[in-house]
Amino acid sequence: MAKNTKGIEVAEIISDKCIACQICIGECPVAAIQLTAEGVARIDPELCIGCGKCSESCPVDAVLFEKKKKRRLRKEERGIPPEAIPGYEGVAVFIEISENVGAQVSWELAGKARELAEALNSKVMGFLLGSGVEAIAQDAVAYGCDEVHVIDDPQLEHYLPVVYGKALADLSETLRPEVLLIGATHLGRDLAGVVATHLRTGLTADCTGLAIEQETRLLLMTRPTFGGNIMATIFCEHKRPQMSTVRPRVMRPPEKDEERKGVIRHHEWTPPMVELPILVELIRDSADAEGIDIARSPALVVAGRGACDPSTFHLLEELAHLVGGAIACSRPVVESGFMPYERQVGQTGKTVAPKLYIGVGVSGAIQHLVAIQGAEKIVAINSDPKAPIFKVADVGIVGNYLKVVPELIAQLKKRVG
Amino acid sequence: MHFVCCIKQVPDTAEVKIDPDTNTLVRAGVESIANPYDVVALEQALRLKEQYGGRVSVISMGPPQAEASLREALSLGADKVILLSDRLFAGADTLATSYTLSCAINKLSHEHPVDVVLCGKQAIDGDTAQTGPGVATRLGYTQFTYVVAVDWINTEEKQIQVRRKVEKGSEVIRGPLPALLTVELELAKPRRASLPAIVHALREPIGAWDGSAIGASPKELGLKGSPTWVRSISSPPAKIGGPTFDAGEDLAEAVAKTLDVLFSDKSFAIKLAKRWEA
Repeated sequence: MAKNTKGIEVAEIISDKCIACQICIGECPVAAIQLTAEGVARIDPELCIGCGKCSESCPVDAVLFEKKKKRRLRKEERGIPPEAIPGYEGVAVFIEISENVGAQVSWELAGKARELAEALNSKVMGFLLGSGVEAIAQDAVAYGCDEVHVIDDPQLEHYLPVVYGKALADLSETLRPEVLLIGATHLGRDLAGVVATHLRTGLTADCTGLAIEQETRLLLMTRPTFGGNIMATIFCEHKRPQMSTVRPRVMRPPEKDEERKGVIRHHEWTPPMVELPILVELIRDSADAEGIDIARSPALVVAGRGACDPSTFHLLEELAHLVGGAIACSRPVVESGFMPYERQVGQTGKTVAPKLYIGVGVSGAIQHLVAIQGAEKIVAINSDPKAPIFKVADVGIVGNYLKVVPELIAQLKKRVG
Repeated sequence: MHFVCCIKQVPDTAEVKIDPDTNTLVRAGVESIANPYDVVALEQALRLKEQYGGRVSVISMGPPQAEASLREALSLGADKVILLSDRLFAGADTLATSYTLSCAINKLSHEHPVDVVLCGKQAIDGDTAQTGPGVATRLGYTQFTYVVAVDWINTEEKQIQVRRKVEKGSEVIRGPLPALLTVELELAKPRRASLPAIVHALREPIGAWDGSAIGASPKELGLKGSPTWVRSISSPPAKIGGPTFDAGEDLAEAVAKTLDVLFSDKSFAIKLAKRWEA
């Protein structure tokens, strides 16, 4: 342990562990820590008073400090006991409406909410906003909500963040759930930030994992960050509800049970008193006109950079047709203008979970791989044996796809007709 | 018209990885850049200024090094740039960040009333897309996220019409100013700065505001104002790859072995044979 000229044992930051979260900078009572140009925190030993607050607050143990063990213990003791934030109960799910029915992601979240509610020994609530939504409320019960709280109002027919934001914040303030989950769709991500700001609570975006920490009753929210290269686990200790958006097709949807019983309650509501935007026109994507949503296709043949050739498209199409699926692609293929954005799989495209994924010339950048985690079987075809996709594929063929795909089609036909 | 852009300086995330052996961040050669989505927002602001007149102000919250992004903004044509920097801002999550930015925008608005705030859809380091809606909500501005085109601004009636992405397509929507837009990359191709402009930008003094300058309550800033904390970090879950077969030796055999592996899972084979029914 290093000492400074005043004889104080100072803390030191291990630079290759530091993630530049800056928590220590905010914690340091004497402003001894600064972020360097390399993006690493550095402690000025002459200013450091050896209090150890930086070590205590560092999420990645990047601070060398001797009192660490003792401090750590104190932090754990400080962890709030169960029921420390009274008056909040239950796990709530925002039920999004898509094409006049409940969005698939909402039911996936209802299933996850059931698990979390069991760990908390609590209930699942559905929060439903819209106009004429009684049937969807019934569905919410069938998918596992113990209570469905509805605001049914003509003003909620079309989504506007200012209107929906107030409605969902109002419901949360009345019903005080411990946890509020929202699907990480376009609408959900737009809405969640509004609601969390109204409620002045914590919000974690795009989670891929949710769990309850038994000792503290805290929701641990895991999400990819730094472009999917790193997974971070986030928690929200002092504010309620603990809010999270969750990607579609990450959680398993529960079985629908029409016999399930639940309470449906309608709530009075006052719309916001502001001048509202006006929807002028809704334009459907042309790719959608084909009626194909790659996120729902049971099988996908995915073209990557290595198969980005319009003249060989018919090969992939034949394979996709044979396995009862659709064609999708990776980001470079969209960037080349060969396929539309709606067919893109990846962090900036769609998250998919087909039963069968066949990657043709897909190298497997991390941003692509995080979006295919839910696939049941992954088959990789690539001429480069070092392509990262082989590390996640259930089975792979190293070779030229122009030869491999026709052979695969021929043999598959023999096996499955 | 007064257009305000929010720019975040971020690590070039394609390069940040965890060393699987030591579980530490590998940051060798990671550069800091202006968030690409925010650069598009700035481009759109400059075009709106060219079309409707007025001024473009740019703010960035971050450590003193974030000045680099602001100099870039100056060289591209921003009229005023402000660095929001204070030790109290450190460790901010999206709630505290949106608070800080909204305080700064309020201050800018006292100088010249703000009409449109433009930000990127998300920053490429966190990808949360939460700060824009947070700022709009705090300021009570009309919120338009995922904007792919700005159709027009009516400066008389204080209205704006934009196109924005929605789940199955896009929508054309108009609403009252002031408004906050978060923009997609395809909205506009950013211009390049001329060499004289770059040199000029290097000489300009950069204004800096701390917490008290923007009239912020210290309780709501940085770590203290942030409800969410990082518990731990890790590498993405690694799946262990199955066998690979080389088609260069015997194509038919490689394909046959591949299908053997696939069909060894009987329930999967049945589902495929039935083409996924039941």
